[in-house]
Order: sequence, then C-alpha cells, then structure tokens
Amino acid sequence: MTEDTPLSDTETDEALAAELALGLLDGAEAEEAVARLSTDPAFAGQVREWQERLAGLAEGLTPVMAPARARQYIRERLGHAESPLASDPAEGTPWWRGPIGVIGGFFAAAAIAFVLFSPEDRTTPPSQPGYRAELAAEDGAMAVEAILRGREMRIAMQSGAPDEGRDWEVWWLAEGADPVSLGVLPREGDMTMMLPEGLEPSSDARIALSDEPEGGSPTGQATGPVIAVAELTDM
Amino acid sequence: MTDKRRTELEQLISRTALGDREAFDALYAATSAKLHAVVLSILKDRPEAEETLQDVYVRIWQGASRYAVNGLSPMTWLITIARNRAIDRLRARASRPATAPAEAASTVAATTPSPETATIHAQERRMLDECLSQLADAQAGAVRAVYLEGASYADLAAREGKPINTVRSWLRRSLLRLKDCVGQ
Repeated sequence: MTEDTPLSDTETDEALAAELALGLLDGAEAEEAVARLSTDPAFAGQVREWQERLAGLAEGLTPVMAPARARQYIRERLGHAESPLASDPAEGTPWWRGPIGVIGGFFAAAAIAFVLFSPEDRTTPPSQPGYRAELAAEDGAMAVEAILRGREMRIAMQSGAPDEGRDWEVWWLAEGADPVSLGVLPREGDMTMMLPEGLEPSSDARIALSDEPEGGSPTGQATGPVIAVAELTDM
Repeated sequence: MTDKRRTELEQLISRTALGDREAFDALYAATSAKLHAVVLSILKDRPEAEETLQDVYVRIWQGASRYAVNGLSPMTWLITIARNRAIDRLRARASRPATAPAEAASTVAATTPSPETATIHAQERRMLDECLSQLADAQAGAVRAVYLEGASYADLAAREGKPINTVRSWLRRSLLRLKDCVGQ
C-alpha cells in the first residue's frame, strides 16, 4: 500500500468503520454509516473491533477523581436519592419541635447521659489502620491536613488559601505510578472522599498539592507548581 | 485488564441492568476516575467534564440492559459511552453539526463473543503502543489527537496546514497500517 494507490473496497470499508468509531464522520456520510450498522453485521463488527482496539489509548490515561458532588447529582437525576435540602424546611413543623419531639428529646438526653456517665468505656471504636499527612508550604503560608482511615480520606484546609482565580488540587503519588488527582480542595472547610480503586494506603504513598487554574487542572495532569508534598505516616 | 476484573465489571453492569443501585454505585466507584479522565482529556474543562460525567453515568444506568448483547468488553463499552458523550459536547461547543453517534455500534447485537475474542483483544492492546511508535510521529500524534482529544478532520487540517481531503486520506492509511500491525 503506497500513498498513491487508491484504497481497495475492503480497505475503504475498514477505514470507514474506523472513522465511525472515532467520530470523524459527519453529515450524510455519518447518517449512512450509522444506518449501515443495523443492516450490515460485518460492518458493525468492524466498528466494534475499532472501539476495542483504540480503547487501549484511553486505558492509558491517568485516572482523575471526580468531586463527590458529581455522584450525588447522578443519584438525584436518577431519583435514587433526595438532595440534602430537597424538603422545604419552612413546610410544617418538624417532629422534633412538636410535643412528641419534647418527649423524644427527653429520652434522647437520658440516653446520651447514660452513655456519657456509664462507668464502662463504650466509646472505643474498632481500630482501623490510619495514616496522616501534614502538608505545609515551606514559607509557612499554608497548611493542609489529610487523615486516612481505611479507604476514607478527609482533607482539611487549616491555614492559607489559593489566590483568586486559582485552586489547589490534591494528588496521590505512589512509587512507580503516575500521580492521580483526588480532586480540587474546597476553598473553605474540608472534603471527604473514598480512595478510588487501584490506590492502596501505605506509608510509601505521598500526597501533594499543586496550584492550578480555577476548577482544577484542565488536562488531568498537574500543570501548576507543586506547593507541598507530604508522606503518609502511621497514626 | 485481568479476566477477574473483566468478570467483576460485567457482573456489576448486569446487576445495574436489573436496577441494583448498590451495583451501580460500585461500578461508579470502580470506573468513574478513568471515565472522568477520558472526558477531561477531550473537553479540557473541569466543570464541563464533571457535567458530562454525570450524563455518562445516567446513560450507563439507562443502557446497562443493552450491554450484554453488544459484545464489547466492559471497559470498552464504558469508555465508548464517555468518549462519544464528550465528543458530542465538544462539537456542540464549536456549533458544528454533531457527528454520528458511533455509540450506535455498541447497541447492535454481536455474534456470541468467545473467550478467544477476549484474548485477542488483550493482545491487541499490548500491541497498540508498540504499533503507534512504528508510525511516523505526525501520524501517531494525529491518531492520539483524534481519539484522546476529539480532534476532527478540520482540526487536523488546520494543524497540518493541509486540505481536509489530503489529511483524511493520510489518516485513513495510518489507521489501516495500525490495524495491520496490531493484528499481527
């Protein structure tokens, strides 16, 4: 096959299947190719082969955690969960303010008192391996603490804040692997997340913060300067 | 992808098809970071990628019952949905006419996929990088730009400073060469 010889019919079909799989066709050509999928199983098979063949490129991309709210929105859109503020707080009197609430409140207080003053120690939670990372800039301008219990990680901003129009992005660094973005740090308060599959908590892992454009790195790779890196230490 | 992981994902998709929310949650946990990377790579905009990712999982929930018959490996099916949705968004942004939903290909029933087919696919993936490196840099770059960044023929033509038809015939030949190499 040289650059000059026209493609054979078989080659043209194969190329068309590739173009359809890649989303390169438009207009009438695209419509025809899509229509052909349902009448020509061999062609549909070729398109699927191209999807399989090229998916390897996507599998090579560095995973980027989506913010936890994305999952909540999906649940809401599918009617799987009510949003935290879905019920109107002004609507009716909540039960705990009514007469039953007063009685319930009394028992709740009694139960709490019982737990608090009970001679036995009931408050010890089952211990889970935990790690901690203290991220601080060299000049002391910012400090962020990450606490990992099991696979749940809580990251809290302690001091400092990104510049206007910038955000701090959290990265998971493991030996011999590309950095994985764990998302963008909220400007106030903290964030809690579950570690994505493939990341294993260990004292060999490190957490880093990079300074990125608002909303986080547009490419999924750290683009801004890394402002702090810290190792996970056993708690 | 190991056989074990493939089987796990297939089971999660089948359970999702039956309306199992727990399985859908587990599927999200196992695959969302990868699919987010796919849409982000194409859209290069965090808020838009996040919104697109939501669309993608809504589609996965709604389309899970059609997965069993389309013959794609689970990860390819998921990546294809994510990629097509992101490309639709990208083309809409440029207010160009939307390209054909190649996703349609994944709704066509396949002849029964055999275990051999799965093995062939795994081998092809290993070959992909090797074969891309055998193409000229510009050709390999174009294939990556089209797949990972959603570049159109018009984008490639602008980038190479060549007419669209020239770029098209050049990319078609690169793709055929890639297929021959990967299939060896």
